[in-house]
Amino acid sequence: MNTSNTNSIEATAFAAGPARDSRFDVKERWSECLNLPDTHPDRDLEFFHRQMNEEINGMENAARNLADFPDAEWSVRMSIARQTADEARHVLMFRRILERRGGWLGRYAVLNFQYRIITKIDNLVGRLAVQNRAFEAEGVDAVEPAIQKARDAGDSELADLFEAQLADEIGHVRFANEYIAQATKSNPMNVMRVGRALNQASEAFLSVMGQEAIDSVKYTTNEQGRLEAGFSPEEVRFAAADRNARKKHAGT
Amino acid sequence: MGLILREKAEHLATFRWLEVFLMETLARWVPTTPEMEVKVLMGRHIWDAAQHADALGKRTFELRAPMHYTLAPLPLHLSTMNELASVEDTTGRLQSVYDVILPGLAARYQQYLQNSDSLLDEPSFRVIEGILNDYARMRKESEEVRAELRETLVFDPERAERWSRQESAISDFVVQGSGATLAREASA
Repeated sequence: MNTSNTNSIEATAFAAGPARDSRFDVKERWSECLNLPDTHPDRDLEFFHRQMNEEINGMENAARNLADFPDAEWSVRMSIARQTADEARHVLMFRRILERRGGWLGRYAVLNFQYRIITKIDNLVGRLAVQNRAFEAEGVDAVEPAIQKARDAGDSELADLFEAQLADEIGHVRFANEYIAQATKSNPMNVMRVGRALNQASEAFLSVMGQEAIDSVKYTTNEQGRLEAGFSPEEVRFAAADRNARKKHAGT
Repeated sequence: MGLILREKAEHLATFRWLEVFLMETLARWVPTTPEMEVKVLMGRHIWDAAQHADALGKRTFELRAPMHYTLAPLPLHLSTMNELASVEDTTGRLQSVYDVILPGLAARYQQYLQNSDSLLDEPSFRVIEGILNDYARMRKESEEVRAELRETLVFDPERAERWSRQESAISDFVVQGSGATLAREASA
């Protein structure tokens, strides 16, 4: 991507970042992070640290949804308030396991792209489509196999953490699916808002992660998890086919 | 003198406004407060405030007001709340919520209980007693965070005392006289 494209995306698809204290080293691109290989002994610590900061982003996004959209229906505000508290609890869960296993806050660089992408979107239906229905649904796909992997390795502490996280995330995706379905039914303009938000986020995500990082995804679609999260069987089939096609294209 | 039914609904509707205000204030502060521990504390307590608002809003309906009936407080109390919510520094934000707003609200909830009847208004008592228990836990959790960050956060106790005096000096905070047939008027 050339410099002018990068500057253009920076202006149109990213908001300012959230506040972080001096313990955190904030980067803007995936390639600037350490990204330890799977075989490295500290790879899990880097993952816990990254995940902890992503949960902070999730909490900050949900909080902003409450602050920015005071006229949204009370029922969805309740769900968002619950999500804020869930993400806060996830931060503590990942901090605890990070520190128990020898890591510490600030050991690795962090990215705040989720917050910067989500808060650039100026409507609630678009934000929930990107944060909950896209980012968190990816989490639903990614966490399920990690639970079994941790169980197989005899790591019940980590497996229990992932199970708790997955249950919460399914709830977040579900309320967003319900809200988006109702919002698009009651106002067709919301279909366009969702589409525009997804396009904007997709471009921004690519500029942060790079195609190589996106192509390196190894997990498959968690069909049962997505059904529980309120996706229709057709949407789940489409997601699975799309994932398989991308993996085939990338050779992973 | 005890509160009549309409006044009970107006009090609970005002408490609801204050809980939503607290939820939104914490929500604004989560991304703009640098210290992770403080962010997380506030993020967890957003859900507490939301649940309080929800329970109060359901109770207003039982008191013949609209579901989730919400009334802004009187102007003096409103301006004090806005001032407390405009604090920019982390220590000030902690003091504002946990040393001033929550104790101030707790005193007003206690006042409500003193002016109502625990039998006639038992469901309101249950809601408010639950809120007061939550407040005690929330303040304890804020003390734990302050202890964890004692090396980096320096508090000015005089500031919190000044705010508390300002808040507690306001006795009347509920807009009254919104009508004897509250539900009918509000839904008209």
